[in-house]
Amino acid sequence: MKSIEQEMCWMKICSISDDAVRASENATSADSFNLESSQVDIRQHSRSTMILRNVAIRHGRKALAAPTPRSLLRTLTTETLVEDREAIEHSIDNHWKETGANLNQLYTTNALHPTRDPSESIKKVQKDFILRQHIKKRTSHIGSNITPHYEPHQLLINPPRPEDVTLELLMASQSHLGHATSLWNPMNQRYIYGVRQGVHIISLEVTAAHLRRAAKVVEGVAYHGGLILFVGTRPGQAASVVKAAKLAQGCHLFEKWIPGTITNGDQILAKCEVKVVDGLDKKVEGFEEKAAEWKALRPDLVVVLNPRENYILLHECGLNNIPTVGVIDTDADPTWVTYPVPANDDSLRCIQVIAGVLGRAGEAGQKKRLEAAKKGDITWLPPPGLGKPKEEEEKENKAAGPGEPKGKGVELNADEVESGRRSRPGSRGLEEEDDD
Amino acid sequence: MGTKEGHEPSDIVDPDVTIAAEALNPENSFGIHRRGAVMRGLNLKPSRVFQTASLLLESQSISQAPPWFKTIGSIPPGEIMTRTQPVQHRDSNRKSRTRKPSKMFKPQLIEYEEDRLRREFYRDHPWELARPRIVLENDGKDAQKCDWSRIQQPGRPLTGESVIQRQLWLLNNVPGMSNAQAYDVARREFYALRHEEEVERRIAREEASWTGAYFGKSAIDVGMELEDKTYESWKAWATREAEAIDLQRNAAYTGLGTGSEEEEVETEVDAAEEPALP
Repeated sequence: MKSIEQEMCWMKICSISDDAVRASENATSADSFNLESSQVDIRQHSRSTMILRNVAIRHGRKALAAPTPRSLLRTLTTETLVEDREAIEHSIDNHWKETGANLNQLYTTNALHPTRDPSESIKKVQKDFILRQHIKKRTSHIGSNITPHYEPHQLLINPPRPEDVTLELLMASQSHLGHATSLWNPMNQRYIYGVRQGVHIISLEVTAAHLRRAAKVVEGVAYHGGLILFVGTRPGQAASVVKAAKLAQGCHLFEKWIPGTITNGDQILAKCEVKVVDGLDKKVEGFEEKAAEWKALRPDLVVVLNPRENYILLHECGLNNIPTVGVIDTDADPTWVTYPVPANDDSLRCIQVIAGVLGRAGEAGQKKRLEAAKKGDITWLPPPGLGKPKEEEEKENKAAGPGEPKGKGVELNADEVESGRRSRPGSRGLEEEDDD
Repeated sequence: MGTKEGHEPSDIVDPDVTIAAEALNPENSFGIHRRGAVMRGLNLKPSRVFQTASLLLESQSISQAPPWFKTIGSIPPGEIMTRTQPVQHRDSNRKSRTRKPSKMFKPQLIEYEEDRLRREFYRDHPWELARPRIVLENDGKDAQKCDWSRIQQPGRPLTGESVIQRQLWLLNNVPGMSNAQAYDVARREFYALRHEEEVERRIAREEASWTGAYFGKSAIDVGMELEDKTYESWKAWATREAEAIDLQRNAAYTGLGTGSEEEEVETEVDAAEEPALP
């Protein structure tokens, strides 16, 4: 137990702030004694919380035996709680004594991906990877076969495709749970299946049909080279929004929408750069001047996962004739968006399913577009006023003669360029909003 | 249904279409807000995105269709705001008020036969409601994987719900079962399993104590402590009250009589005041 205490002491010392360390160094004997005692207090508290967490992970509920029920905790004074905690600590210490469990065997996993030292050499990383693959191959079939079950991270890592949308999936994702009956918007009556336990139940078939329709829209817009913006400003929606935008090669927004980003875009998006790409999404040289003074980009389709909190964004889209897709709950207004998807906007699992499906649809559209481009069939037109690259324009001007300056014609030769559809991957363009 | 819906007179003869076009032209920086797609306070612009774009193209306010034009044109948005007859969950009575136009479009209550059984079970076992429940589903087909010929199901906890499903299975599959019989059979199986659980818990506690575990106060001990504390505070209050009553009584008795008694009263009053001063 003493060695464990020393280890804990070390761990705590590492995490004390610089100020405290300096203070402890400069303090008098009396002060240092006080600091030590406070350190001891912190250490005990941290140890007890860390121990509780570790024990819960390793041994489960049964290890924390006979605690006072939660319902009584409020009626208790703090004296009783401390006694309970101490009792648990004592029993855990006894357990370690009896079984010889080592502190190093207990761990907590905080992140999905383990941290790696960046100074490791590449060869070592390769070796580690090969070893890991070998171990996986040899040991993955050992042990019990776990029946397929819900794995929350799979919705973000491997989202479902529009073909995988089933009524069972939507029900398991709690997409049918609407709001209390008194809070409904009667415009949504056609989407509601019935009333159960005081809430409206959104019809699963309606959700599935509208979701498939929205997926077709997203796929089509991506196929025709449109810029899609995925918006989800509630806490927890950021991961699904970013994943969807990555799949559809569009933009994402998970922080507040700055009012005026579309109507006053030149001001708000002044720092965003614009680049000109060709049919295969490769950058085209010769448009630097034009790109530098090009107007702020506007999305061609906006997918909003919480329209009730993004009214200003949807209003701006309406003013600028931009189609929108939105997740409409029983209390939301379906007139705010072009393509409503009636579903539960309060369930993160439902939002992840919808964002995943629309992201996959965008991915399919992008894939088709690039395949067509490889065959020589460009599915979009460059914006009017782009013209040709600088060198070619100069050549044309010379060929035409000095007395006949060639005007900026509409560039209908789609083989050449597309401007403004893409911005630099270094968080430019409409992605700039998420920095705030 | 890819035809345009722009045949309303207000849209075609709208004199400000060119102004609207200029507002939507990406090369213009100012925005004029037209109320062409507003009805009774509702803004229907999002729904009419395709029609607006078509008109702008026709009037050549924009030279090129936006990238979404073909897609949105071929996939019209669904109908909104209109009410439909809701899904019927119960037979409609000829005389019921649900046939009134004002009530006809209200969503109906969803009810199952299990609800009746649930009400009965939880009325008899209210503390089963205090057990926390996980309502998470795996893939939505969890219910199809259950075989209620036994009350215990793999991957499912033992709750009141298992009693009800077992009861329903018995009613449907065992010939000659009445409601009460099925309830009793399911209930008894449930009690046996709960008893097993409690025995397990007791043995686990004994085993833990044997290997050196300490346990905190049980709910009963905590309750007793709180009661004791309340009792002590009541006792202190009661003592004070009793003293006050005694004083009042004594003061009332010494109110009658001669001056010598009045002197006694004064001294007694002084004596009574002394302990009051802490």
